This record gives sequence, structure tokens and C-alpha cells, in this order.
Amino acid sequence: MSLKVLNPNAEVLNKSAALHMNINAAKGLQDVLKTNLGPKGTIKMLVGGAGDIKLTKDGNTLLKEMQIQNPTAIMIARTAVAQDDVSGDGTTSTVIFIGELMKQSERYIDEGMHPRVLVDGFEIAKRATLQFLEKFKTPVVMGDEPDKEILKMVARTTLRTKLYEALADQLTDIVTNAVLCVRKPEEAIDLFMVEIMHMRHKFDVDTRLVEGLVLDHGSRHPDMKRRAENCHVLTCNVSLEYEKSEINAGFFYSDATQREAMVAAERRQVDERVRKIIELKNKVCSGNDDNFVVINQKGIDPPSLDLLAREGIIALRRAKRRNMERLVLACGGEAVNSVDDLTPDCLGWAGLVYEHILGEEKYTFVENVKNPHSCTILIKGPNDHTIAQIKDAVRDGLRAVKNTIEDESVVLGAGAFDVAARQYLMNEVKKTVQGRAQLGVEAFADALLVVPKTLAENSGLDTQDVIIALTGEHDRGNVVGLNQHTGEPIDPQMEGIFDNYSVKRQIINSAPVIASQLLLVDEVIRAGRNMRKPT
Amino acid sequence: MREIVTIQAGGFANFVGSHFWNFQDELLGLAEDPNSDQVFKTQYLNMDVLYRAGETQQGIPTYTPRLVSVDLQGSLGSVSSRGTLYSEMPSGTSNVITWTGNVSTHVSAPHKKNFLHDQEEQKSGIVNGGKGEPCGEIQDRDIVNSLEDGVQYWTDFSKVHFHAQSLYELSGLWVDGQEFDNYGIGRDAFSGCVRGEDMNERLRFFVEECDHIQGIQFIVDDSGGFSGLAADYLENIADEYSNTPVLLYTVRPPSVYANSRSKKQTIFNDLHNAVSFSRLSPLCKLIVPIGLPCLSKSKASAFLQIKDEKTYHCSAAYAAALHSIGLPFRMESLGPTADLRYVSGAIDVNGMVQMLAGQARQNMVAILDAAIPAPPLMSRKQCCYSILGNLHPLTPEVAEDMEDLQAVESVSVHGALGSDGLRAAVGDVRDSVDAAYELSPTRPRFSHLSVALCPLPISLPFPSIFANSVGQHGELLDNPVPGSTSRGSLDVHSIPVAARLRSSTAVLPFLEKRLENLRRFGIQQGAPGVELLKSWGFGKDEVEDMGETLSNMVKTLDPHPYESSDSD
Ligand SMILES: Nc1ncnc2c1ncn2[C@@H]1O[C@H](COP(=O)(O)OP(=O)(O)O)[C@@H](O)[C@H]1O
Ligand SMILES: [Mg+2]
Repeated sequence: MSLKVLNPNAEVLNKSAALHMNINAAKGLQDVLKTNLGPKGTIKMLVGGAGDIKLTKDGNTLLKEMQIQNPTAIMIARTAVAQDDVSGDGTTSTVIFIGELMKQSERYIDEGMHPRVLVDGFEIAKRATLQFLEKFKTPVVMGDEPDKEILKMVARTTLRTKLYEALADQLTDIVTNAVLCVRKPEEAIDLFMVEIMHMRHKFDVDTRLVEGLVLDHGSRHPDMKRRAENCHVLTCNVSLEYEKSEINAGFFYSDATQREAMVAAERRQVDERVRKIIELKNKVCSGNDDNFVVINQKGIDPPSLDLLAREGIIALRRAKRRNMERLVLACGGEAVNSVDDLTPDCLGWAGLVYEHILGEEKYTFVENVKNPHSCTILIKGPNDHTIAQIKDAVRDGLRAVKNTIEDESVVLGAGAFDVAARQYLMNEVKKTVQGRAQLGVEAFADALLVVPKTLAENSGLDTQDVIIALTGEHDRGNVVGLNQHTGEPIDPQMEGIFDNYSVKRQIINSAPVIASQLLLVDEVIRAGRNMRKPT
Repeated sequence: MREIVTIQAGGFANFVGSHFWNFQDELLGLAEDPNSDQVFKTQYLNMDVLYRAGETQQGIPTYTPRLVSVDLQGSLGSVSSRGTLYSEMPSGTSNVITWTGNVSTHVSAPHKKNFLHDQEEQKSGIVNGGKGEPCGEIQDRDIVNSLEDGVQYWTDFSKVHFHAQSLYELSGLWVDGQEFDNYGIGRDAFSGCVRGEDMNERLRFFVEECDHIQGIQFIVDDSGGFSGLAADYLENIADEYSNTPVLLYTVRPPSVYANSRSKKQTIFNDLHNAVSFSRLSPLCKLIVPIGLPCLSKSKASAFLQIKDEKTYHCSAAYAAALHSIGLPFRMESLGPTADLRYVSGAIDVNGMVQMLAGQARQNMVAILDAAIPAPPLMSRKQCCYSILGNLHPLTPEVAEDMEDLQAVESVSVHGALGSDGLRAAVGDVRDSVDAAYELSPTRPRFSHLSVALCPLPISLPFPSIFANSVGQHGELLDNPVPGSTSRGSLDVHSIPVAARLRSSTAVLPFLEKRLENLRRFGIQQGAPGVELLKSWGFGKDEVEDMGETLSNMVKTLDPHPYESSDSD
């Protein structure tokens, strides 16, 4: 997908020209991304040379789809993508903040100021802003039962920047419940335990939370049941197919009978494993109507499938590695690597297992489980690009909830923090700084306003008016953000507009680092091509 | 039936693959074509080994390669990464149903569709390509000419329909092909974002549906970043499918040998080659390095007119050899239905690997030799040497006429012609090759022969790479055809091909060169490439491990090496 940004590399530029190239590249990238920001932003539809469509409201996805050639722009893009990897959100803000730091610096540099001085000011301002964030953030007490309302507000804030309101609100409950489902006290939340599955459905746009697991494959035997209730679930990683094992290395084909014997011996071993599974099935299913389901990470060949099918067992092969873990968390039992010591304790439980077929695509639902710690978000959409965009939004929502629980705090959104921090820098910090580094602090402070300004611009409001109104309120001691409909100040707390603390912190931390590197241009040029991802 | 899943990674690998699948597509088409030669109707080569049957959501049946192809973003030209069969209903794709705010649309200039695709579109409704009956001589000539000079993407000359899961583009790398030129940069490409996971999922899709997979055939362009990517991919494969043998072909075009002028560039290339070979080889069961620095002037091109600078040309020759090598994996003669009139010498991937790499000497590097086209069998009196004698290496840096009493080889011959110019019976080919072994001064310790009656079909989108001494059925003409110097698919309709995998000490120079370069540039005191290796993510220990790997591979073949540069 080509949305080319600026001219390609020019390693031979002199220092001042190189500096301006950096500034222009940063501004160029800002221009591309800024219309994305916030709930009034623009969604972008990218149509590739072969007619492929990508849909994105997300800075992260947009960057990945762009063919960026300018090395400066690539550096910024890498920082933004790293921002998303680390904290799950804030890519657009990162890019426009870097762009704005460069834009503000340009003014001073054109007046003859040395970039070094600005960089010193950035460093001071950054530290002060991070300290201010600690005071400004709103603590949230998590305890045993997290406050679901606040989690939902954070999720809703982020989802509404990606999807229209009704859809965002539907997903808000889903992502919140999904995170609470996989959360275990005293442990880091593993979002991989929320499976995200999708189905292409001509007319349907729908997303739902399945308490249990949806697998993207079905059994491979015509006689296996397509639906079963009261299921014992065996999760295993055991080869149930005949394969020439390594022991046979060096063995030759000249002797046909020897070969036959080998084959037969190995077949017996496989059959033996299947028989052990059947034994366990008979143990738990005799005298009742219960069913038995095997979900295996390794292969199951047709003879083994036959044996299992004859016993009424449903068997799936080549399950995703991660589903081994998810199944156990959803159904209970344990994942076994051998069938030697099978006991009923190894088994999990699902009230309902059934298959759903769409063309050649098969899905297996493992539902009605007891006390699940893994779940699936199932997205239905009419085409790939719609599904992909909803998926991106779901990921953002999940991260927002997880961050809130782990941060134990949130930050007032709608530009409230950015304006507050700017006023703090200008009114409190700047005067404590010696000499011209003050101007670096000022540039940093003004750059912070890019978020509320862009939010205003994307809402079709006059940015000057908005900034004057907001800073005025802040100076009067009222912490307010921007009402995107009217341009009036609002109380984000009342409106439930909250951003993640860790996202904000990461933005404040990383953007000035890159901006400084770009300003101290020597280092940038040396970094040139083979720049590794910043970590 | 035992399935094979194919993986292609990187530019040149996908070019080779594109020709490879065109051959298969042509064989499928010819089998159904009432007007085709009988030999194509009873091939006894099971296509299900390479292809899968499926259906679209609209219920239309499909038949597509079991393939995962990985390449840089933008390398698919005018083809959508979803392929053509599983494309979505056009209705409703252009309105955004997830957002009620502003929408901005950015349309890249559409890629010019190649002639082939234009033609395809005219005969709508055909699901698995098959042979499009040429719409006329003139039009065919136009296609041939425009492809000769106009191929930019491998999709430009592909006539195969791929499954929606098959074509994977690496997004978010922000490098172009030229920059993606070393092992280090490729490692990041696999692990970054969710790319590695995506690729694993694609592969799993194809493996899950196999009842009994016999192996994975992995073709990687090892001239740049894709070797790093492939190594990580292979590591995952070894983990997940531990008992499935991987046959690894590393391929590279002649053009990559061209740019090693400066000393610095030479060190860079030599280290990349050493690193990539030593990292890739332990992750597969058999590795076959392919790609001559000067294919056009090599012995293998005796009957070819190849232009080294044309990727479209070189990849065709290598694809022909790979097709031949893979035939025994698909021969339907493992069971009692074997019909020795059509095929003989079936073996599965594991068997091939065991035979070549599992013998007393555990050498897992094989040399690929080919004869394109294979010469006709000679009558008994004349030297029966011809097919074997005309097999020439496509593997670089191998020794000639090396006597190796421990050598093991597997030869595949298909579509061979008799001395009378008619297609030779399978039994006659066997006899002829056996006789040639008898007469040969250097005989391998063990050899396996596979023979098929069916020749390699030369279908329309095929470059003009045959010398003018090659006839319509691949026979070698006594008098070259006057006029043009090269002939393509309009003049040559099929050819006999022979190919061989060989485990032999002849590969020693290839191994020793890599070992020596690694020592000289990466390990020795003050080696000039230490920093470079570091930037690729390799510390001292890892580099030494690689040296160890290479030196063990050398020792396997040559237990008493002449200690040369071990002076540190
Ligand atoms: N309802 C709202 N009104 C005003 N601003 C909002 C609202 N919801 C979110 N925002 C602001 O939008 C910004 C996030 O926009 P988003 O498009 O998600 O960009 P990013 O990629 O940087 O996260 C935050 O600054 C947030 O405070
Ligand atoms: Mg966001």
C-alpha cells in the first residue's frame, strides 16, 4: 500500500539541511496522521495497487500499511509502533507530538538557537511533566473486585475513537468482561488467554463474547458428532499418527519384509495410544450420557480417527499451541504430553461442544464451561477489512482495561492532562530554569497542546478559541477538557473520558527522546539505515 | 496419499515457485484436455500431494496449492494477497460500516495487469486455471514478447489461482528489497509485530487438513534477509512439527553475485553466506543450495539460452529441476495399483532424506544436478552414458570429477526420448541408466532411480530460454533451427528432464569456503566482520557455534582435513 511520505534518504546532506529534512519529515508524518486523532477523527480507507482494501482509524495500523522510505519518518514510525507494543495505544498521539516538538523547535532554530539548548530544555520539561503526571493521575483502587464502571469508562473512551458509538458501546462490555474473565489475582493479566476469532458473514456485523473457546477447525472424520452435550475434554499433545520415527535412521529399503515389520510395529504403538484414550473415555462415560472430546496439538491420522469415531469420541488435531493453555483455563483439567498415566483428573468439562461450518471453514465451539479463565471474542463481519478494523479496536479495548487494572490509575482525557501539564510547565517550571534552556521548556510546553488542538481541528472547531478557553479555565483552577461537539470546556470526569496512565507516560517518555535525536542531527545520520527498533 | 506443504520465502524463491506452479497447472490442464497427448492423460503423478481441494463461501469448488508464500509488501504486483478465488463480494466493500464520521480514501495507482490476467478475465468462471486455449498465434506472440522484457513481479507470469491463506506480505518493515539484504534484518522481520505468529498460523492451516503429511518443501531466497526470516520460521516448524521432515532448497539469482566489488561488500556478502548457511542447515533434514553465479555460461546451460540478468529466465531453469526432483514423492506406485508402465521408483520425502543424509556418513547437504532438456537414450552400442553424463550442477562451488566411493544419489528422469525420437518406455530408461552406471568409471555407493513417462510441459507463460537446437518435444536437433537464437513456449511444447540429488564430497569446496570466510572475517583475532556480526545480533559465542557447525559438516565428508587457516 503506498502512501508515500516525502523524499527518500539523502545521506550526504550537510548538517543544517539534514536538520531541516528531519523537521520536514516529522511534520510530514504528523500531517498524515493527525486527522486520525480522537472520536471525531477521519477513518482512512487504503486501496492498494491490486485493489486490496485496508481500513484504519489507528495510527499503528496506518503506519504499518504505509511504504515509508524516508529514514527519519521510519525512525518516528518505529517509535510509534513500539509505543503500541509496550502500552497498546497512543500511536497517533506519539507521532503528532514528535512532529510538534520539531515544529516548535524549528522556530527557535531559525532564529539561530543551537539545538543542544532545546534538547536540554526538553529533558528538564520531560522530567517535570512526568512528575506532574504522578500528581495529576486519578488513582483507582483495584482490590479483589475491580471497579467495573471505571474499567468500562476507559474501554469506552478508547473504543469510541475507533468505532461508531453504538458498536463501541457494545464492545465495551465485551472487552471488560473478557479481561475480568482471564484475570487471576496476584498475577499479570495474560491477554493471550482471550482468543479473538472471526467469521466472514455476508450480512452480519456482530461481536460476542463466548465463555469458553472457539477453535478454527473441526473434526476430520465424517462419522464424528457435530454436536455433543456434557463433554469430558482431553487436552493433549500426543502424536496419534503413524510416522517414521528417528530411530529408523539409516534403515534401507532393500529389505521389504523388514520394512513391513517396522511399519506394523509403529502402527501398533499408535493404536495403543488411541486405546488408552478410549479406556479413559469408557471409564468416565459408561453408565451415563456424557460425551468425550479430544483436542490434540499433534496430528491424528485417519486410522486413529476411525478408532475414536467408532467409540463416539470427537477428536480435533493440530490445535494451536496456545489453545492448549486456553482450553485448560476454560474447561479445567490439564494438558497432557503422554497418554501413559491418564486419569479422570486430567479431563476438563464443557456443557456443549458443536461445529459450525461456513464453506470450507469450520469452527468448533467449546461452551458452557464452569468458571472459565479463558474466553473468546468472536467477531463477525462482511469482509476482511471490516473484520480487521474491529479486531484492532478490540485489541485496543482489551489493552485499555488491562492497563487500568495494572496501573491502578487513569488520566483525565479530552486534552485535560495536556493543557494542565502545559500550564504547569509555563507557570511553575519555566521560571526555575537557568538561561536559554527555558526556551526548550517553552517549546515542549507548547508542543503538548497539539493533542487538544488537533482534537478541536478534527471537530471543525477554531483551535485558537478552544485553547484560550481551556487554558483560561485551567488557570482558574478548573481541570477541563474539550467538548468535541460544542468546543466548550467540559469536565472529563463527569463525561467519563479517561485515558490510560501508562500510555500517557510512555508518550511523554519516548517522544522527546526521538525528537532530541532528530535535532542532534549528526547522530541521526550515522544511525541511518540499519536502525534497530528502539526498546 | 501423503501430502507435501510448500513454503516459498523471498523474491527469487517466489519466482522459482511461480514457474513451478505453472508447470503443475499445465499438467492439470493437459490431463483434462481431450486434445492433449496421451502421455499427459495418464500421468500417474498424484497432484493431491501438492494441491488441496476446497470450496469458497459461495460453494464453488476450488483446487489450489498447499502453499505459504512470503514476500515483502508490494511484491505481488497486480494480484491481491487474498488471491482471486476467495475474493469477497464487491457489494458493500466500499462503504464503511464501522464509522459514522469522516472517511478519506487513498487509492494507489492500480498496477497494470499483465496480458495473462487480461486473458483470464475474458474466460470467466473457470476456477482452476488449466490450459487456456490460445486465442490466436498473434496474441500469444504478444504475450511472450511482453513477458520477455516486462516481468517485474512473479505474479506477472503466474497463471495459478492461490488460496486466500497462501500469499503473505510482510507489512510494517519499511525496507525495500535492496535494503533487506542481510541475515540480521530478516530476524527482526520474523519476530516483529505479529508477523511470525501470522506465518505460523498460515502454515498450520495447511498442515491441519493433511491426513498424513510426508514433508515440507521449503524454498528460500537466501541471498538476503529472507534467510534470517526462514531460520526463525524453520525453528518454529521444527518445534511444532517435529517429525515432519523439511527439505530446504536455498535459491539465488546470478545477479546477487554481481555486486561484490568493494572489499567491504565482499566481506559483507561472504559473512552473510556463511551465517545463513550455517544457521539454516541445522534446521532442516536436507539442504540443497541452488544458484550459479553465471548460469548462462555454465555446463547446465548447454542447451539453454539464458540471460543471467533476467530473473524470469533463471528461475525457470531451477523450477524445472525442482519439479523433476519432486516427482518420486508423487508417484502412485507405493500400493499394489502400481503401473510400472508410467512411473517407477516412488519414494517419500523421509525416504529421500534417509537415503541421502541418513547413511553412515551423515552429510545433509545435497548437490542438485540437472539436464534440461535431458538427452535421448542412445542405442546400446553407443555410449549409454548420456543422461548421467549430461547432469550438471546447479549448486555453486562444487568440485568436478571428484571421486567419492561413499557418494549416494537419487536420479529422476521423466519424459525421456529414445534414440528413435519416440518417448522411451520406463523400463528402457531404467536399463539405459543402469547400463550407464555399469560403464561409468566412478560409481556412487548407492543410487536410486525414479522414472516417469510424463515430460515437462512448456506452457505459454514460459521464457524463451531454449537454444535453437531444441525441438518441439525437447529432442536435440542435429541442425539448429535457423532464424532466432532462442526458442520458447511457442516452439517447444514439452521437454524431457533429468535431475539428481547427490550427497558427495564434491560439495566440500562450498562448505570449506563458508567455514574459512567465517573464521577469517568473523572469528579470528581482529577479524574485520565482528562488528557487522554484532549488528546482526550475533555475539562471539554464537559465531563460534556457527563455525563449529560448519566444521562438523566438513568433517563429516572429510575426516582427515588438511588443516589450513586454523591459526588463531
Ligand atoms: N469523547 C472525547 N472527547 C474528547 N477527546 C477524546 C474523547 N475520547 C477520547 N479523546 C481523546 O482522544 C485521544 C486519543 O485519540 P486516538 O485516536 O485514540 O489516538 P491515539 O492513537 O493517540 O490513542 C486522547 O487524547 C483522548 O483523551
Ligand atoms: Mg487510542
